[in-house]
Amino acid sequence: MPPKSSQAQVPKKASTKPSKVTNVVKLGSQPQTSSAAKKRFDPLTAFRNTPPSSQNSVEKPQEKVKPPVTSTSASKKGKGKGKEKATGRSFLRPTADQLWVDLYEPTTEAELAVHIRKVEDVRHWLIEAFEGGPTGKLRKYRRILALTGPAGTGKTSTLQVLSRELGFEIVEWRNAIGESSSAAAARPWDESSQDYHALRDYDDSESLFAKFSTFFNRAARGQNLSFCSSSSTQKPPSASSSTHSPPLKKRQIVLLEDLPNVLHQKTQSSFHDLLRAFVESPINPDVNAPAVPVVIIISDTGLRGEARDERIASGFGAGRDSEQIVDVRSVIPRELLQGPYVTQILFNPIASTLMRKALTALIQTHSKQHSDDDTFFKPSKQVLDMVVESANGDIRSAIMGLQFACVVEAPRGKAKLSPGNGAGKGDFVVEAVTRREQSLALFHLIGKVLYNKRKGDIPSSSAKAKDIQKDKELDAQLIDPPGLPEYLAEHERRASRVDIDTIYADSPIDSSLFSLYIHQNYPQFCNEVEEVEGVADWLSWIDSSGGEAWYQANPHQFHLLTLGTIHSLPSPVVRRSQKTYKPEFFDVLQKEKDARDAVRATREWVVAEDMRLNPEARRVCAWGANEVVLELGTILKLRDRGLGPVSVAGSTPTTSPPNQTPTISASPANSTNAPVTARLSRPPRAHRLFTTHLFTKHSSGSPGAAQVNERDAVDLDEGNNDEDDERGCTGAGGGYSLEGEDAEGGWLEGDDIEDFD
Amino acid sequence: MSLWVDQYRPRSLDELQYHRGLSERLRSLAASSDFPHMLFYGPSGAGKKTRISCTLRQLFGPGVEKLKIDQRVFLTPSKRKMEVNIVQSNFHIEITPSEAGNYDRLIIQEILKEIAQTQQVDLNAKQRFKVVIINEADSLSRDAQAALRRTMEKYMSNMRIILCANSTSKLIAPIKSRCLLIRVAAPSPEEMTNVLGYVAKRAGFDLPSEAADEIVNDSGGNLRKAILVLEALKMQSPDLSGELSIAKPDWEVYCHKVADLIVSEQSPAQVMVVRAKLYELLSHCIPPTVILKTVAERVVQKVDENIRADVMHWAAFYEVRMRVGNKKIFHLEAWVVKVMSIYKHFFYDIDMSAFD
Repeated sequence: MPPKSSQAQVPKKASTKPSKVTNVVKLGSQPQTSSAAKKRFDPLTAFRNTPPSSQNSVEKPQEKVKPPVTSTSASKKGKGKGKEKATGRSFLRPTADQLWVDLYEPTTEAELAVHIRKVEDVRHWLIEAFEGGPTGKLRKYRRILALTGPAGTGKTSTLQVLSRELGFEIVEWRNAIGESSSAAAARPWDESSQDYHALRDYDDSESLFAKFSTFFNRAARGQNLSFCSSSSTQKPPSASSSTHSPPLKKRQIVLLEDLPNVLHQKTQSSFHDLLRAFVESPINPDVNAPAVPVVIIISDTGLRGEARDERIASGFGAGRDSEQIVDVRSVIPRELLQGPYVTQILFNPIASTLMRKALTALIQTHSKQHSDDDTFFKPSKQVLDMVVESANGDIRSAIMGLQFACVVEAPRGKAKLSPGNGAGKGDFVVEAVTRREQSLALFHLIGKVLYNKRKGDIPSSSAKAKDIQKDKELDAQLIDPPGLPEYLAEHERRASRVDIDTIYADSPIDSSLFSLYIHQNYPQFCNEVEEVEGVADWLSWIDSSGGEAWYQANPHQFHLLTLGTIHSLPSPVVRRSQKTYKPEFFDVLQKEKDARDAVRATREWVVAEDMRLNPEARRVCAWGANEVVLELGTILKLRDRGLGPVSVAGSTPTTSPPNQTPTISASPANSTNAPVTARLSRPPRAHRLFTTHLFTKHSSGSPGAAQVNERDAVDLDEGNNDEDDERGCTGAGGGYSLEGEDAEGGWLEGDDIEDFD
Repeated sequence: MSLWVDQYRPRSLDELQYHRGLSERLRSLAASSDFPHMLFYGPSGAGKKTRISCTLRQLFGPGVEKLKIDQRVFLTPSKRKMEVNIVQSNFHIEITPSEAGNYDRLIIQEILKEIAQTQQVDLNAKQRFKVVIINEADSLSRDAQAALRRTMEKYMSNMRIILCANSTSKLIAPIKSRCLLIRVAAPSPEEMTNVLGYVAKRAGFDLPSEAADEIVNDSGGNLRKAILVLEALKMQSPDLSGELSIAKPDWEVYCHKVADLIVSEQSPAQVMVVRAKLYELLSHCIPPTVILKTVAERVVQKVDENIRADVMHWAAFYEVRMRVGNKKIFHLEAWVVKVMSIYKHFFYDIDMSAFD
């Protein structure tokens, strides 16, 4: 491919020199635009034409004046010039180089694409934090607000808008604080290089945290932060507040977005201590005194680490290292999160209507300001739709994509004249660039596989016309598989609408977790035991394929599992409003771990008893964990009831061995045994975790498992107590629809996000 | 009150009441100058560990009974801490590596290296070597077993290894060939009756022979279980006369109920019900192999004899997968579904050839 393009490039350059290229760079009214544009773009094209000879040929036409210069120096010079030009230009028009994201940051609530209700929640909290609600007592419980949600859902923007509206000041922590130039001078590294920063941060991570805690303690007490300027001259930590004057009376909040490295165990625990101390610290009862609530913003990160998951599944002894990701649970200690002092507000991905509205407004503002700018073309509706769709609820990504779309749109001035190919190459480029990874929600992923849609499925009655149309188009592209011979007729299936490569690429979870989700949910989608058998056998085979070590794992697990599942499931799947659940697996694993601890404790108890009562006869400890679990249950229960071998009122003449003393009669009541406990100690209570089995009959389904919500990120945590509260919010008008009642038909038909407006 | 099992456990080879030939052989081995690595294997409750500790006593004298229990902390490659209990005396060390899950290799290596590199310093010691006892050797991962085989040769001068396992089939051949294999078979009913009588005598009562027979029948060759049952019965009804009802442990009853569920209905919904039960068992630390075995045995009792072989065949099949795989529930469930399918097809008299 490279040689081809190099050939094509040369004539094009020559012909389009005067005007066309100008558009690309948006240089506007500058006089020497054409040459500047050339200079700027030549290095790029030169890079594409890797062989130096072709580079030469490209450069030649413009460097006519100085033929003896070598190609490399020439290109360097070109670059330098381009830079010069660029800076000059940005001087002339400061906005041209800026990102729209920064340029058109929302300043009022109306501009905010976040759902009104969410904003209201945050505002409410802040007001309560400052004023203490109707009774004035709520202030005590409004200490920490955690804003969570995927990236680009307007968490920070909401806070900034509210800061303007309510008139408080945001004191923000930046980890880059205290970067003194003296330290830099001592180092041979280039100051600006990335490695340098990384190394430095690593070097004095401790002192960095010390600085943080100083900052936090002072800021949280509402003290003036001017001390910071002494430690770091160039960059005050409260960058966003630098424009405000810092009067003491002004309301402040402390914003922690750039958190200390909580993945580091030690840092995490000290950070937790800091938060605990903050929460416990008494608040100034004077309403007029400034209360300083803390807002922590945490962006959810998807995870997809095979190695990590292996460790999870590797069994009981291994705890789950949830420390691998920064989420609200690693940032805020669990007891605080469940306590009254911390409020968590979850931001949903931005609904497509809201986003479209915001983007349209943004374009209008832009075109108003740049009405003289002939390089700006208003993007077509298709482009806008695509940007919205591909952003997947991330407005930052959407604005970036939009800006990019407006740039690449420009050279297609010709296409505007011939409005036949609306969705041409440009769109394709936009899509390829803007599409975010992990765009398939877990909910959709599982649904896609389990609903097992195949070519020619009769659309469900509730399907929308648009979706039916979509399916038809898809079917047209699907090729029917060749027929199978007679003896394989039972494996005959219609072509599947599931594109495995795509869902694999988009899957937010790795194959191991995926298999757990499939396992949790597949039986509801089957009609007959035979179908269940097929899937179950695939699951079993895939789990056992490959070796013991992680590097021996079967790399095709995901594909095999998907194919095996959709092959085994009935087609079409009967819809009986199935609900998707989260795997119970981890709950069980946790319980098993607890029970195993109990087993260990019991075992130690048995050995200790033996040693205590037969001190002269210490011996090899003969109890394995399995023996304790399988054989000791009855004895333990009897002991629990207070029965001992010699404790029964003597009907049998007991000639007890010297180390046994007959004890007084044992009644079931525990208290009567109290004086005897020195002799007859109780087994650890925890043994019930493995000795007591309650066989309960309950209805089918999985009562213990939490449902998978459409908005759910991958959540491995066992305690999803927040589920119900959150549902209240989303149901009332969050960006996503709920799975519940409208699960039938509506929830998988398309990937577009419904909203309630 | 320690358990009778512990209290009346034989402490020397002379006290062992059955397999006297084996005891004799162990005695002469201990007396000879070249004590080999050993692998004790046999069913649960046959007296393997008792025999090992008796052998140790024969080797080192009573000093070996001065035990201390250490909790050692190991650091895994992923920097996680792992605590493992280690029982040791001056002459031996006892480890149960299966407690460490997938990191057993690490622990084996660490401990063996430590033992192997230190000479016996006690001049009064009868032997120049220390003994490492590895419990539950059949649950060692392949990695750990491979790590073991080299060490066994290299440090022969300082250390002997005694492995204890239920079956040799899960050990790799190189290990088996480096050890002297010693099979400790389950005691016969008469031997068990003798032992029970002995225990009863030590505890100070006479055991009626019917009760003894009852207990022996119930225990299935597992002497430890028999003695525990005896103790439990004694707690419940002190005179041990009349109708004795030996209560099955909870988990076993539970497993049987699961088997009943499988046979009673075959449908996807029932699969979910059974799964919940299986999860319940797993979360009570019942080893999955035991679950599979117990349920399968019960199912076999309840189904027509034509499909019994199939049921067991698939139980064995999925047991192998379970050992290799990570997520036990998948394999248990796959077997359950398989049995349901077989049962259902048999019930409707459909051609079975597809399931062979």
